Amino acid sequence: MPDRARGTKYACPVAIRHDQAIVLRSYPFGDADRVVVLVSPNNGKIRTVAKGVRKTKSRFGGRLEPFTHVDLVLYEGRNLDTITQVAIVEPFRRLRGNLDAVVGAGLMVEAVDAVAQEEESSLRLFLLLQRGLKALDAGYYSPDLITAFLLKLADVVGVAPALMECASCGRRDGLTRFSFAGGGVHCHNCQPEGGVRLRAGITAYLDSLAQAELMSLPTLDASLSGEAMGIARRFLEHHLDRKLFSLAAIE
Amino acid sequence: MFEGPVQRLIDELARLPGVGRKTAQRLAFHLLTVEEADARRLSVAIADMREQVGQCRRCFNVAAGEECAICRDVKRDADVVCVVERPQDIVVVERTQEFRGLYHVLGGSLSPINGVGPDQLRMAELKNRVEGESIQELIVATNPTVEGDATAMYIAREFKPLGVRVSRLASGLPVGGDLDYADEITLGRALAGRMEL
Repeated sequence: MPDRARGTKYACPVAIRHDQAIVLRSYPFGDADRVVVLVSPNNGKIRTVAKGVRKTKSRFGGRLEPFTHVDLVLYEGRNLDTITQVAIVEPFRRLRGNLDAVVGAGLMVEAVDAVAQEEESSLRLFLLLQRGLKALDAGYYSPDLITAFLLKLADVVGVAPALMECASCGRRDGLTRFSFAGGGVHCHNCQPEGGVRLRAGITAYLDSLAQAELMSLPTLDASLSGEAMGIARRFLEHHLDRKLFSLAAIE
Repeated sequence: MFEGPVQRLIDELARLPGVGRKTAQRLAFHLLTVEEADARRLSVAIADMREQVGQCRRCFNVAAGEECAICRDVKRDADVVCVVERPQDIVVVERTQEFRGLYHVLGGSLSPINGVGPDQLRMAELKNRVEGESIQELIVATNPTVEGDATAMYIAREFKPLGVRVSRLASGLPVGGDLDYADEITLGRALAGRMEL
């Protein structure tokens, strides 16, 4: 496929390009404009300017709300690209009518925003976010969905925690502690510094969520779901070196 | 670049939102040419505003006393409260001349990603008003964005159980606009909220 059709930014000599992306967030810029931050499968995180979208007569302001999957036409600028056309591919309309789903989607885009890099292909990251939003749109909101999403995100960025064997020695039994800095579960012989003691069954719980499809999560022991989400959150926050604010609203 | 006081005024004006160096310079030189009384009136107006204007203790609108002019007006309908994000939004609703109730300024909208939860907004104050006043309906007039919609859903979830009617401003087509320029989400909402004629 030629570079232009793929939407590659720098191999293409023309100033106008096409791209597909999911809107992560936007913030006011100037009097009536917005800077819109998106994640694209080809170009990773992209920052763009949408001119005049805060005016009520804007032709495409409604298409650039967070969580929307859009097809864009961009005019390349020196610092930020300017959006000249937007078409909606998938609005994820149903999730917007459910407060829990909106908070869950907010967490997903916050986490993706934290790991996505500019000018770097991020197909797996894009597809994971798309699957997560589809699951929320289909009404599958639950703390387990968030935990599964965070574990899969850790895998996509290359820091998946060891869950079924000791991160230090590879042993598969006696896994009693979890170390955020040490890369996952540890056996009682390998005492990691700063490790936390685990309740029985929590590693298997986390592992089933890490392996499952987001749209068909297994039914598990609900009493473990809060602790499992806390472990996934702290693990990802440790490796990203930043807090995920949206989770505070869920927990 | 200019004489001390002139340059100082240019620097101060250039700190205002939407005012660049060139505009600041033009304003400063304009103030240099007008009658001294006119320039002084401007400076007194700024000083008075800073000294006399605070927050309405009831609705958190800007107020020159303890309560704003809207809360003091006994002719207003105290049963209906319009919930807005910022004091500036009150002016916009007032300009319609369609609303005769009272207001409540939240101070923003829910945005978990930016660390803004219900505790950072004036939700507790709104709850106190609902419990202590004769409020029958809350009209949520937050922006039609993800954050504004989330705020409206949160208010409905928290206040409906208290026996208050919670409504939301309709979303739809702007007056004077063309149908073929409308985006799918806006048009979808306009269809969902259509009115019988």
